[in-house]
Amino acid sequence: MPSTVVERPRSTATERRKRTTAALILSLPLILFAAVFVIYPLASGALTAFQSSTLLDQSNEPNGIDNFISLFRSDGFAKAAGFTVGFSAVVVVIEMVLGFALALLMNRAFPGKKLFFTLLLLPIMVAPALLGVMFRLLLNGDIGALPALLDSVGLSVSLFSPDSVIPLLVVLDVLQWTPFTFLIIYAGLQSFPKELLEASAMDGAGYVRSLTSVIVPVLKPVLFAAFFLRAIDAIRTFDVIYVLTAGGPGTSTTTLSIYIYKTAFESGDFGKAAAAALVVLVCLIPFVPFIVRRISSTGMEAKK
Amino acid sequence: MSKVVDAYNAGQGKDDGVDVELTLLSRQDTFSKEAALMASKSSDVDIYFTASYNIGQFAPSLEPLTDIDTSAYFPVAAEGLTYEDELYALPLDVSNHFLLYRKDLVDALLSDPAAQAEYETVSESVLGEKRAPKDPAEWDLDDFKVAAAYFSKSENPDSPTEYGTILQAKNLLYNTMIWNDVLWGYGGNWEEDGQAALTSDAAKKAVELYADIYENGWTSPDSAQAEFPETQAALQSGDTAFAIQWSAAFAALNDPAQSPDVAGKIAIAPVPGGKTHVHALAVSLNKYSENKAAAKKFLSFLASTDAMTQYAEAGGIPPMPEVLEAQAAVNPAFAQVSKTIDENGFSEPVFPQTFQAYSKLAEDLSGAWVGQTDVDDALETANANLQELLG
Amino acid sequence: MTALAQNTTKTTATVSPPTKAPRRRRAWLFTIAAGIIALVVNVPLLNAVLVSFKPDGEIAKNPISLPTSPTLDHYANVLYASGYDFPRFFANSAMIAVGTVLLVLIIAIPATYAIVRLNFGGRWIISSASGLRLLPAIFFVVPFFILFSTLGLADTIPGLIAANTFLNLPLAIILLSSALGDIPQEIEEAAAVDGASIYRTLGSIVLPLLAPTMVAVSVLVFIFSWNDYLFALVLSTSDATPVTLGAANFITSTGIRWGDISAASVLSTLPPLLFAVFAQRYLVSGLSSGAVKG
Repeated sequence: MPSTVVERPRSTATERRKRTTAALILSLPLILFAAVFVIYPLASGALTAFQSSTLLDQSNEPNGIDNFISLFRSDGFAKAAGFTVGFSAVVVVIEMVLGFALALLMNRAFPGKKLFFTLLLLPIMVAPALLGVMFRLLLNGDIGALPALLDSVGLSVSLFSPDSVIPLLVVLDVLQWTPFTFLIIYAGLQSFPKELLEASAMDGAGYVRSLTSVIVPVLKPVLFAAFFLRAIDAIRTFDVIYVLTAGGPGTSTTTLSIYIYKTAFESGDFGKAAAAALVVLVCLIPFVPFIVRRISSTGMEAKK
Repeated sequence: MSKVVDAYNAGQGKDDGVDVELTLLSRQDTFSKEAALMASKSSDVDIYFTASYNIGQFAPSLEPLTDIDTSAYFPVAAEGLTYEDELYALPLDVSNHFLLYRKDLVDALLSDPAAQAEYETVSESVLGEKRAPKDPAEWDLDDFKVAAAYFSKSENPDSPTEYGTILQAKNLLYNTMIWNDVLWGYGGNWEEDGQAALTSDAAKKAVELYADIYENGWTSPDSAQAEFPETQAALQSGDTAFAIQWSAAFAALNDPAQSPDVAGKIAIAPVPGGKTHVHALAVSLNKYSENKAAAKKFLSFLASTDAMTQYAEAGGIPPMPEVLEAQAAVNPAFAQVSKTIDENGFSEPVFPQTFQAYSKLAEDLSGAWVGQTDVDDALETANANLQELLG
Repeated sequence: MTALAQNTTKTTATVSPPTKAPRRRRAWLFTIAAGIIALVVNVPLLNAVLVSFKPDGEIAKNPISLPTSPTLDHYANVLYASGYDFPRFFANSAMIAVGTVLLVLIIAIPATYAIVRLNFGGRWIISSASGLRLLPAIFFVVPFFILFSTLGLADTIPGLIAANTFLNLPLAIILLSSALGDIPQEIEEAAAVDGASIYRTLGSIVLPLLAPTMVAVSVLVFIFSWNDYLFALVLSTSDATPVTLGAANFITSTGIRWGDISAASVLSTLPPLLFAVFAQRYLVSGLSSGAVKG
């Protein structure tokens, strides 16, 4: 007994040193990769934001905050930010609700489940850039299958008119990404303690009540993970909208990514594009730790 | 283009000791990619694909081409690639617009007195004056508008087509080029003596023509997001009677394998108003190239009528009147291309930010084209932005 | 509790003859519902399949009907007849996607272990790693391009692997760190007491426990890197062109070749699909062990 008491502190000290070395060695690939492919581009991108870097003026002279001034002087950036936030909020909420509902629907045994499960995930596997082109054909008023189908049952629609184009984009995003929220939430439901569900069902709680009072609270971290992973991608939405509307009519469907892309590659103003991206980053950073804490709470606590 | 390169590599390239490797990208991608290459002063690529509308912007990264004989080209094509008195690119392919129309439908109208009377009634309500239908070669922009109404079910329930025309009204720089035809057709221009001139009456009339056609349903509501492929689809499906469209569209529309419903029924006329935008897709020498001598040899080859004849045979529209006339059998549109570029062609002023100006105008005006934003406000914004880009 | 449970089963057993049939019918209702939803979300892809078998003339003529004279021309164009080297594009995409998966795992697993279990850098690293995914990828496009040109990575497979790894590391670190949080630490402590080194514990105890999550991460990373377009556009010229970019060749200045691009889209969806089918079992269990905690 006494010997263990004496030995313990020493072993902890060496062990701590060992652990630190191990941590460093294990993290080395990440550190190296981050230094080359993250820190450098980040720094150089941030630097560009304070330089005059256009195709016409490649001097890369520092120009102070000129890029930021020109960014905020026109309302294009603010409008793009507004549209992006609004669009992301709407699609993510719909995708969360539908994904959750779909997960509940699929969370039981029925014939053909395996097949349909795979089919439900299929939309994630289509490249968004190609999907945009597929939509252009499918939804075309003259040669597209969907308008033709609607027409044959006597419905005449004009999907791309200015009034309907934003709802259309929402629907298309929902179609492609509900499968993603579904997958994450479904996976969460799989490891849901069955006894909890049965218990609540048994004491006569209605389905809705057991949903709100049992399933949702327990599933919170999963819902957050799905929400977060989906939200960060929604904020970067680019391909499908760019292919379908190029941000128009006017600028009514311009997302931040489209705005930055156009600033860099159509206007050739890399400095201003970098400034815009930097502003986006700075605005989003405060949210990150909050969300990460929610998702990886257990991972972090286990460490203590 | 790849066929021309293959021919060069197999033939003259051997003599020149030059082997050309071609990278193909879609059009939008090519320019994005090149912008990135130029921004980093890359020497990866020796020859860039360029175009009249971005030569001013790309010029700082390009080597001026001296000692090249440009007399075989359309003057307007070479002018569009000249910036500050230096030629920065060799034209390779010319693009202009035509009115592509259903000849069968127009002929039927012109030979049927009852239909003509109906046309005059439509004209009365659209323009306030009775106009008789004319051959599309003689249309002005008012005739274009009346015909758009006449061939639309919303105006004329007996119309053989659902919509008269299709406007290319998506927020896209290439659509600005088409709208420019209307602007020029009404006597307008981007600038007068270096001052942006988009608040002119002509500019207002040009936007209003689009907005009227759109709001009255003489074009599909979907044309708010239409560009080349959508216009092609509208004509192919037989839902639409005519459209102002790129010259390159004609071959596919007249090919029974691709367009079984309309092949043989489509004819070409000059754009109503008598003006067509002309631009050239071109090749330029990278200023940072490490193989300038070899690249120049290849460029000289491309400037020859031989190379351009091969290019025409492979489906392109070479910018040499002589070649177009000699190759009329390859593409029936060639003769018309040659004539219309000569008589109706104009090229927008080349200034460093021409490319941005096209994009900006599409962004500022596309809302007004489809009646979503006020015409005067849109033109004022566009004018201010254009002024800034003109410098 | 056990008694109660047995009781209920007994009750259901006694009334089973009348209720069993409706229950089976109800199960079929779920099949139908799931089928309809699966159909709706896949309409664009199904349409692409349909179009890919139609000759050019029919595409505009019969938008909804089945092809009357089906053709394989578009597939021939994609695979060899168009003058584009699609087999190579496919090979490139495969190398890029598989390479990215491996690199992501090699970097993310030990680092996540160090962060979560060995207290390395702590929350800060996880936060910033996931924050990176927030940035519009466009922000990095030009710096990456310049960097890659200097390193000689432009237009190479390793270059695109690095770019996609960059894009997907945050996802992997998030999923792996929460999975690791679910593994009871006592097992590792026991191993340590038995004298196993940290590396050994990681290799022979933690890795097997993490396996399902690794598979799930692999599938997602594979899909995302297979489908990347923007980085491929800027970072590849010809040698490393992936399928997504190759398919865009069918968008020409004389229109979109609908049939060809549909065929290319259908073909390019197959590899991620096969991978996902193959790994389906682990996809769900991997994500569920990773994402859920009480």
